[in-house]
Amino acid sequence: MLIYDIWFLFIYMFSVGNLIFVSKNKHLLVVLLSLEFIVLSIFFFFLVLLMFIDYDMYMLMVFLVFSVCEGSLGLSILVSMIRSHGNDYFQSFSML
Amino acid sequence: MFFFILTNNNSNKMFFLFILFFSTLISISSNSWFGCWIGLEINLLSFIPLISNSKNLLSVETSLKYFLTQSLASINFLFMILIKFSLLKNFDMNNIISIMMNSSLLMKMGSAPFHFWFPNIVEGLSWMNNFMLMTWQKISPMILLSYYFNKNFLIFMIIMNLIIGSLGGLNQTSLRKLLAFSSINNLGWMIFSIMISENLWLFYFLIYSMMIFMMISLFFLMNMYFMNQLFINNMNFFIKLNLLINFLSLGGLPPFMGFMPKWIIINFLLINKFYFLTFIFMMTSLIIIYYYIRIIYSSFMFNYFKMKWVNLLMKNNMSLINLSSFISISSMILSTFIFM
Repeated sequence: MLIYDIWFLFIYMFSVGNLIFVSKNKHLLVVLLSLEFIVLSIFFFFLVLLMFIDYDMYMLMVFLVFSVCEGSLGLSILVSMIRSHGNDYFQSFSML
Repeated sequence: MFFFILTNNNSNKMFFLFILFFSTLISISSNSWFGCWIGLEINLLSFIPLISNSKNLLSVETSLKYFLTQSLASINFLFMILIKFSLLKNFDMNNIISIMMNSSLLMKMGSAPFHFWFPNIVEGLSWMNNFMLMTWQKISPMILLSYYFNKNFLIFMIIMNLIIGSLGGLNQTSLRKLLAFSSINNLGWMIFSIMISENLWLFYFLIYSMMIFMMISLFFLMNMYFMNQLFINNMNFFIKLNLLINFLSLGGLPPFMGFMPKWIIINFLLINKFYFLTFIFMMTSLIIIYYYIRIIYSSFMFNYFKMKWVNLLMKNNMSLINLSSFISISSMILSTFIFM
């Protein structure tokens, strides 16, 4: 409980996830994976925080449910994009 | 609006609309910040099916961009909530954590400097979806902003909003992008009214959404998406008058309804000696009124060709148009009879 260096790990993981999200990628799937990585880092952070409150992990499960819903929504949008454009390259965006 | 959803054989969209309304209520009435995050997530989950329509390439791209920006913003929001919880910063509102939380909420709203997705997405949506995006989707981030905001940061963001909203609309020919930049500008006014009092924000928001509703319903019924579609002479006189009045009201010109909330905010600004901010509010409003007047002056005062193939609805039932014109013109004066 007195080791505060673990905050650096969480902030580092979160920052790396954000960095990959905003980088120029060829595929959309990389962006969705970076979102899942941020979710993973928040999961870890939440776990460590909730261990300080007498191991009460219910909120962690609720968080997991919502993050999984959001991840599956991202995947469904990916599928819809592949059905209409044929691939998931970012360069095929020319309309807007 | 429910009528339009029902006529398009899309009654499953009513389900998502109901969940959308419910998600905002969850978010603003929760006891903890985690409940707020849950409401924002459900908001995203239920808005994406409303805007995605697999028969259209443009709407796929739109829903993708919307999903990416909103999910990033809400994930960042959750991370900042956890950091705030772990460092026990519940009463200190002038630190970096409040800046980060406010930034993620501003990104959800489409406020400058995180506004770049907003005109793009508005360009890709139909008018009714635009109405939901511009009015209802702003409620929950703004109320969450009012719970924990950093005053200096927000004043800087307000100035950026006003300037970008006014200067960005100068070179637009698409009506949707015009209303998007006008929405960014009005966001500046609304964020400032949050800092004054929540009641005033509600007042501004209701009048703004009423004005946007009148304009968007008119554009929707006439199926107009670009400025060159306004230059036809076939429009009924009352439709033209209503459009004129609504544009001027949205810009904030005095005898119309849109002036009232801006008047109250300027009153507050001047009493409390925010002179520089008043100057920026005034000048950016002037630029917005300039490009509105540029549109309506050239479309309604000049004589254009009458096209024979233009087919406009609503030639018979004018009562709703007349009612909305009447409300826009007279509501400011009538409100003085009610409240004084």
